[in-house]
Amino acid sequence: MVKHMDRTKRSWTTRQDAKQKRKSDVRNLVDGMVIPTDRIIEAMEILIQPGDRVVLEGNNQKQASFLSEALARANPNILFDLHMILSSISRPEHLDLFERGIASKVDFAYAGPQSLRMAQMVEDGKVTMGEIHTYIELYGRLFIDLIPSVALVAADKADRFGNLYTGPNTEETPTLIEAAAFRDGIVIVQVNELIDELPRVDIPGSWIDYVVVADEPYELEPLFTRDPRHITDIQILQAMMIIRGIYEKHEVQSLNHGIGYNTAAIELLLPTYGESLGLKGKICKHWALNPHPTMIPAIESGWVDSMHCFGGEVGMEKYVEARRDVFFNGSDGSMRSNRTLSQMAGQYAVDLFIGSTLQMDSEGNSSTVTRGRLAGYGGAPNMGHDPGGRRHSTPAWLNMMTSDEPLARGKKLVVQVVETFQSGNKPVFVESLDAIDVKNDTGLATAPVMIYGDDVTHVVTEEGIAYLYKIDSMEKRREAIAAIAGVTEIGKTITSDKIEELRRDGFVAYPEDLDIRRSDAKRSLLAAKSVEELVEWSDGLYEPPAKFRSW
Amino acid sequence: MKSAFLFPGQGSQRPEFLHELSKCAAVSETLEEANDLLGESVFNFHSKEALASTKAVQISLLTAGVAAYRAFDLERIQPDVVGGHSVGAFGAAVAAGVMEFKDALKIVGKRGELMEQAFPVGYGMGVVLGLEAHQLELLIAQTVDKQYPVFMSNQNAPDQLTISGALPGIQKVLVEVQQNGARCASLLNVSTPSHCPLLSSVSDTLLKELHAVSFNPPSVPYVGNRNARLLFTPDEIRQDLAESVSSAVQWHDASSVLYENGVRLFIEMPPGNVLTRLADRAFPDAKALSVTENGFDDCLFVAERQRLKKRKGTNYIW
Repeated sequence: MVKHMDRTKRSWTTRQDAKQKRKSDVRNLVDGMVIPTDRIIEAMEILIQPGDRVVLEGNNQKQASFLSEALARANPNILFDLHMILSSISRPEHLDLFERGIASKVDFAYAGPQSLRMAQMVEDGKVTMGEIHTYIELYGRLFIDLIPSVALVAADKADRFGNLYTGPNTEETPTLIEAAAFRDGIVIVQVNELIDELPRVDIPGSWIDYVVVADEPYELEPLFTRDPRHITDIQILQAMMIIRGIYEKHEVQSLNHGIGYNTAAIELLLPTYGESLGLKGKICKHWALNPHPTMIPAIESGWVDSMHCFGGEVGMEKYVEARRDVFFNGSDGSMRSNRTLSQMAGQYAVDLFIGSTLQMDSEGNSSTVTRGRLAGYGGAPNMGHDPGGRRHSTPAWLNMMTSDEPLARGKKLVVQVVETFQSGNKPVFVESLDAIDVKNDTGLATAPVMIYGDDVTHVVTEEGIAYLYKIDSMEKRREAIAAIAGVTEIGKTITSDKIEELRRDGFVAYPEDLDIRRSDAKRSLLAAKSVEELVEWSDGLYEPPAKFRSW
Repeated sequence: MKSAFLFPGQGSQRPEFLHELSKCAAVSETLEEANDLLGESVFNFHSKEALASTKAVQISLLTAGVAAYRAFDLERIQPDVVGGHSVGAFGAAVAAGVMEFKDALKIVGKRGELMEQAFPVGYGMGVVLGLEAHQLELLIAQTVDKQYPVFMSNQNAPDQLTISGALPGIQKVLVEVQQNGARCASLLNVSTPSHCPLLSSVSDTLLKELHAVSFNPPSVPYVGNRNARLLFTPDEIRQDLAESVSSAVQWHDASSVLYENGVRLFIEMPPGNVLTRLADRAFPDAKALSVTENGFDDCLFVAERQRLKKRKGTNYIW
């Protein structure tokens, strides 16, 4: 054994010591674990220090809005050069931090609601880009090389010991806290209220350093509510094809849906069209999904065995509580969500992901970027890919095997559903993705592709389904996509003889190949045609936010 | 939730529009002030005949915008941010307290004159609907030669763009875009190639003129025409006011930046509703009102309600 002479000189508690120093510097300002509401900025200016890596809770639903507003008001002469880590850059003050010079670098997953300012500030040199991640990647890096020195998060309720109740909107809070708390980071939690007894403890107080009662409840967006009134006949036709030509054909039992109207149509067709095909109990039993209000009729009709949620949905709390056979509810009755675990489940554990996109090239690569904007990814690429390391088999996964090689594997189903033209008459199918221009304009390391073509197993349009998983040549892949690309330029590249051949060989299916009459695709098939009818289905338990009430 | 006051540019005027302003002390005082400054009645500038002149249009647009802004101010309604399209930017600058009305009126008159004199004949503008900027730019590059220069100018919506330059070149581009996917393309009734480099000498003169008047720090941020950024200093705003006339107005991006900064209530100062329509289309979940269309009282009512609902501390941090 080689013994280092200076071994005794090194301290192994520098992080802990530094944390204790900061905590002792605020002791006159705080009352135990509680930071007074009106002294939060002062406290932050001591507890956070220039150059710190700060993870700020903000995803597409729940926002630590009190803490983000307070941080943006800090004195940039005291707090500067912060490295922010945000799942989603959604609120104006997330970028005000950079405009004011408080923060300089960012790592994030999604910036849709601030995508123009984001692009501008990168161009102006006000933001130094780290990387753009998927949710799972970002959560993972919190434990590897983006370990936060400070976590700023939100909870519904806390007690005086710092125990937290986060309930249906638990989302990513436990993950962000864990990464900071166990590496001597400082955890500050904004709470809507401080009470004596919590409904249940979602996060233990020993992980928490400070709580502060926010002046207003944290921001929460009803992001997963789709009003059935806006579902069109074309979306219903697509939904019928998907149920018949994908879910039934491959016996899809576990899945995740995107948040578009086309997937809402599928949800509302299960109790009507799905029922008429005798599919109840055979498909769509297990879900990694937020509590979509449009799932209510399927749940009420007994289609759903289980549903694990990334987050909650405003107005669904009582309904979810009353259906505890389906949801993950605590001993107090209310739901517990978990964004990290549900994303991971959606990545590894389900048979199928289906979502929409704005652009797809002739090889099936898809992207939702717009020129001049920097929006990132969120969670779609986690769920919208085939995790190569998967081992467990299900009928749907095995059904994707196309060879009888001894080591042949199955595949997760990754389905893209689009109409051939977006609004404004823009073709969805294009020769080259705008993502490539965005890469060149912004200097990103890779083009911001949302779902890679080689992961996509099926593409669905109003024309039909392309079964890409069956195809091994790039040429045939282009043909199958062209066969369902309608009158876009890509669609015009294929002859009707060729289409007949593709349909005959089972690479493409049109509605008639699936025994679907286009004229049957009517709104009357929807189990609920309005938010009001969803409320009726729920026995009045669903309480839609005001903006969705028309009565 | 924040509110923005928007000030329209040329194209929103119609004959006698100053008579449509609400009848209140702030409006009549502003009109009188304009009369004094101009040395003649401002009503001489808004008749059908007078509006043939760019200078008259700009003077009457500025007067209308400032009068309406002052009417809100009198009711203690201030926006969180301001923005104006082209000459409307001067109204926005006055509303933000950056310039005084008297200076703005003088400079806007000069601006109109310079624009009229720069290219008296053979130049103008066109509008193209249904193409995106990168598509239009490519078609212009393929179509136009040096003899008859054409530039892409204002981006009012992602698929509503203008072009500026020499008329024969514009005609060629209009034909070309219609053969390449544009939904609609036509000549605008404008005789100046505004918002393109052909007017860079106008910008130079304006910058000198603007340096001769006093500029103050804005009371609320002003969104720039040229770069669609919020501007916080007198220097940046002066530069934007001068250079806007020879640069493309990035209106879609400018209003998107307002939206991303939390603006959910847009109120368009008179005349017209051009900017209201654009905001309605671009931001379906925001509220967009026009004083001309909805009336001053309704706009005031909504603005007051919004002020009450506003979170404390969501104003801009300086």
